[in-house]
Amino acid sequence: MKIYKVIFSLLCIVFVGISFINIKKHKPTPLKFIVPKGWPKPLYNFKQNPLTIEGFELGKKLFYDERLSKDSTISCASCHQQFSAFANYDHNFSHGYNNSFTTRNSPALQNLAWQKEFMWDGGVNHLDVQPISPITAKNEMAETLENVIKKIKRDTAYQRMFKAAFGDETINTQRMGKALSQFMLMLVSSNSKYDKVMRGEDTFNLPEKLGYQIFQQKCVSCHTEPFFTDFSFRNIGMPLDATLNDIGRMRITNNNTDSLKFKVPSLRNVNITFPYGHDGRFFALSNLFEHYRKNMQPIATTDVLLKNKMPLSNFQIGQLTAFLYTLTDSSFITNKMFAAPAYTKPIILHQH
Amino acid sequence: MRKFIILIFFSQCIYNTVIAQQNTVLKLVHKVGNQPLTLYTEVYKNQWNEPFTVNKFSYYMAHLQIVYDNGKKTYTYHKPYHLVVENDSTTKTLMLQKELKNITAIKFLIGVDSVQNTSGVQTDDLDPMKGMFWTWNTGYIYAKLEGQSDSSKAPAHYFSYHIGGYKYVENAARKIELAVSSNAQNAIEEIIIEADILKWFYGTNEIKIIQEPICHQPGKLALAIADNYKNMFQVTAIK
Repeated sequence: MKIYKVIFSLLCIVFVGISFINIKKHKPTPLKFIVPKGWPKPLYNFKQNPLTIEGFELGKKLFYDERLSKDSTISCASCHQQFSAFANYDHNFSHGYNNSFTTRNSPALQNLAWQKEFMWDGGVNHLDVQPISPITAKNEMAETLENVIKKIKRDTAYQRMFKAAFGDETINTQRMGKALSQFMLMLVSSNSKYDKVMRGEDTFNLPEKLGYQIFQQKCVSCHTEPFFTDFSFRNIGMPLDATLNDIGRMRITNNNTDSLKFKVPSLRNVNITFPYGHDGRFFALSNLFEHYRKNMQPIATTDVLLKNKMPLSNFQIGQLTAFLYTLTDSSFITNKMFAAPAYTKPIILHQH
Repeated sequence: MRKFIILIFFSQCIYNTVIAQQNTVLKLVHKVGNQPLTLYTEVYKNQWNEPFTVNKFSYYMAHLQIVYDNGKKTYTYHKPYHLVVENDSTTKTLMLQKELKNITAIKFLIGVDSVQNTSGVQTDDLDPMKGMFWTWNTGYIYAKLEGQSDSSKAPAHYFSYHIGGYKYVENAARKIELAVSSNAQNAIEEIIIEADILKWFYGTNEIKIIQEPICHQPGKLALAIADNYKNMFQVTAIK
């Protein structure tokens, strides 16, 4: 018995020795989050998830990795495409696992650091947990978290990247969520023609200028600058689609007064994020304008601002459209920093 | 971090070779009335004469504290959140890292504090991977009871109660305090706490499977069931 204790104690000493030899301080490179001039402070708590180049690169790899889905065919980027401001271009519903449809329109991913609640009904309360929903939904990526983590753990590239980003090899749901957030938080769109005009670097042409004036009168109380949404939940008189039975915000709050309310979507990059509406029922801006001036069906929970619909002349629609086109941010949708990581490039692109 | 690991390693060495003392063990025993719980096959009857089987039973036991030394001291279990799962027996035996005497009360929470519900992805027993998490309406499921009942009109005669909710009016977390009267002066080897599943269906509120086979979201029904099951625990033995 005594000999075992001696051996054990010796082993202790050896292990402690090894742990000292191994000391090689690892430090990921901080990545600066730039708040555009005049914008409010972000809501995301960066202290709990400090941005680093390694974390961002890991998040990007995860975002573009099809293995996060059950049959390795769907990645986050499948339905959040950069050229569509990370919405799903030209799709009212997205295509999920095994020939399935989602039941809501895939939203653009931009300026997420300022967003408090996610999803059309605001049901998700933190950016880090948001990806769990599409990953596990049967009509989206249809995979279990257990399998995702198992697949990632097997990949030596991921093993290296998790260590580089977080200091040790631990791979878990929390770190996956944090890394994905690091990538998504950097998706800031603040360089459209509208932004340039506001910064005094460019000028509106006449239709754009008139459109901006009409926008100030008719739209801005919900589509508030600089995000072009006030992040509230409102009913804009879209009648219930009986095939979906989507009651919106009420599903989360259990409150009758929230029936058919959905999050006010941002109008940034609106021209490239069609179709519109929570279920993508408006295939073009012109459908939306017709909805507002004619087709909407106000009910008890419809927003007071729309009780009498929204009168719009053909002329006003033309000018508004011209203004809305100025919200397209071409530098955002072509920024190589957000593009799919290439297999041939080194894993950490920007390391000094 | 590295120093911390070394410290733990050393303390473990000392612990293993020198101290090696007897610690108190807390055991959770799940029952349905007087019968032991057997998953899938055994048919039980609730207060309303509804037959049912149990396929899943799990809950978060949080902030476990044991008041000992006749109320003078409080022992806090090292895991703030402990997930108890019926078909994983290791989760039903909690090794307390201390020798306790003269226990007067056992306190814990069935639930998860709102902070953990609102601050992103958590780890260990709170890892969303454990399946006790709502993805579409962020928040933890504090307790789960699933099974089949001929009284249920839901598909496959299933009944399924997922209880959770952290927002002010929907808060389903329930504090449990069990008074213990034990004359034993010696160190306690084992504490047995029984949880009776029948308590889910009656007590503060009448829950009938025929009327409510499914509860999958925070709200009134979840609160009603939580108010029932908060009375399911009972200390049955202190040895």
